Amino acid sequence: MSILKIQNASKIYGSGHTQVNALKPTHFTAETGELIAVIGPSGSGKSTFLTIAGGLQKPTEGSVLINGQDVTELSEKKRSMIRLSEVGFILQASNLIPYLTVDNQFRLLDKVKKGNMNPNEKDKLFNQLGIEDLIKKYPADLSGGEKQRVAIAKALYTKPSLLLADEPTASLDSNRAFEVISILSLEVKEKNKAAIMVTHDNRLTKYCDKVFVIIDGQLSQISDGDQAYAHLNSSD
Amino acid sequence: MFLAWNEMKSAKLRFLLIIGVLTLMSYLVFLLSGLANGLAELNREAVDQWRADAIVLSDESNINLPQSSMTIQAAQNISAKNKAQIAQVLLVARKRGTKIKESVAITGIQKDQFLMPKVSEGRAFNRINEVVADDSLKADGLKIGDKLNISSSDQKLIIVGFTKKAKFNAAPVLYTTLSTVQNIKYGNGNISRKGLINGVVLRDPNFANLKVASKLKLTPIESFIENMPGYTPQKISLDFMIYFLFVIVSVTIGIFLYVLTIQKVSIFGVMKAQGISSGFLIRSVIAQTFLLALFGVFVGFVLTTITGLFLPAAVPIQLNIPVLAVYGMIFIFVATLGSLFSVQTIVKIDPVKTIGG
Ligand SMILES: Nc1ncnc2c1ncn2[C@@H]1O[C@H](COP(=O)(O)OP(=O)(O)OP(=O)(O)O)[C@@H](O)[C@H]1O
Ligand SMILES: [Mg+2]
Repeated sequence: MSILKIQNASKIYGSGHTQVNALKPTHFTAETGELIAVIGPSGSGKSTFLTIAGGLQKPTEGSVLINGQDVTELSEKKRSMIRLSEVGFILQASNLIPYLTVDNQFRLLDKVKKGNMNPNEKDKLFNQLGIEDLIKKYPADLSGGEKQRVAIAKALYTKPSLLLADEPTASLDSNRAFEVISILSLEVKEKNKAAIMVTHDNRLTKYCDKVFVIIDGQLSQISDGDQAYAHLNSSD
Repeated sequence: MFLAWNEMKSAKLRFLLIIGVLTLMSYLVFLLSGLANGLAELNREAVDQWRADAIVLSDESNINLPQSSMTIQAAQNISAKNKAQIAQVLLVARKRGTKIKESVAITGIQKDQFLMPKVSEGRAFNRINEVVADDSLKADGLKIGDKLNISSSDQKLIIVGFTKKAKFNAAPVLYTTLSTVQNIKYGNGNISRKGLINGVVLRDPNFANLKVASKLKLTPIESFIENMPGYTPQKISLDFMIYFLFVIVSVTIGIFLYVLTIQKVSIFGVMKAQGISSGFLIRSVIAQTFLLALFGVFVGFVLTTITGLFLPAAVPIQLNIPVLAVYGMIFIFVATLGSLFSVQTIVKIDPVKTIGG
């Protein structure tokens, strides 16, 4: 089943001569088990695409179906409930709450939603991400990479079926970056999720099942599966 | 509560300052209420001791006991079950041989009627010119056996006992016989006016059905108190200050919380992006205000109680715990109301704008 189905969605910001066609009419699907990369230059519409895919904002035209539910027809309240239960965001800017310790970031999620990871799953995730010693710290006391790893753990903790990541590896060294991608990949494959990752880092696309490029709001697939790997290898 | 509490723990200084402001405001509310209470008490404590329901005064007196005048005959014609005659004159008493002076309310009553106060020290008056005095006079240096000269009268009074809580319109009461008051007012010789008293106090819950003669006026005891000179203006001024303080509290905490909310727009935006509802965030802001106000009121209450212990007796502040509790609750309520300023801001936060990228 497709976890995400975007039909003919477009986004226009503003009107008149300040109008920006941030996303041109787009068709897109993400199936279970797929890790999808979206690359493109700055300002090309990657974040716009991701926020529309996650039901954070409505497209100007078209529809967005998350697990079969058309979120463009829902109220803000309903959309926020879908985000909470179905979508895990890893944001470009840190999505940590400054006044909560790492541990309490997760307790907050337990306050607002049932069915999150159990303690065993949580410990395993913390180990994989190497953040088990950080739980008593506040975000301000973490390095950029540590913050990002906690943010990733936070997105996975609610067991979403759709993971959306905006530059999840931006402040990680390449070892950590590869590790994070393999965790995302494993989550997606083992637990029947779909993940879309915006990245600048070409080295990471070889782990992805499909690679899309977005230029001036125009999304197009450049490769899938092994082709992606081949494509990148040949361009190196 | 979770978010509210953790945020307060992580930014202690900021929230302690807000609690500090709320503490001072609640302290002020509590002291003002104590003052209002104490001043009211000064005026009415003697009347409260009577445990009366109504009073009959002459129509011309403008519901003012010392100005009222009626005949004993008229008093006897009032058909209430439980009634007591009262005569009163406001004068200055001076302890003989000293400069100790005090404005007093010399109040004539009949010993066997319900106006007779409980004597806490000494004995009841038996003869003319013997008085049972309010025990606040002890602080002025008066004691049992002291003789008092009365301004504008050649009568000499003698203190034979004390009673507690006997101030009438802020003047200490000297309880005595009806004839003592009549002698002071009209002089020993004036037989024709011996039949005059000031009023009749009724202890009868059904007083409203009573008919009184056309020159007399029946007044419920509460309106009698409200008509005492100065009582109502004083009370209104203090009550107004307290109500106005409540408005200030609400606005002040509203502004504080609004500023805090504005500072947290991006954090709230991130949480909303994750799917945490506006309702949850609003509840957490309200819970936070509630906690702040609760702490503020608690510390304010402790400060007030400590202050109460150290106030000199001359300061008319009377702390009444049930009244403070009610004001404390109103305080917490209006403060929490102030946090509603921020609700609209939280609802309007657009997660897409705030998360950036
Ligand atoms: N709220 C908005 N109002 C008006 N224009 C916007 C708004 N958000 C984005 N844009 C414009 O839409 C275009 C796409 O923006 P978007 O944030 O999607 O780019 P991006 O690909 O994520 O860039 P980056 O790699 O720098 O994060 C940009 O030209 C941007 O200026
Ligand atoms: Mg972006």
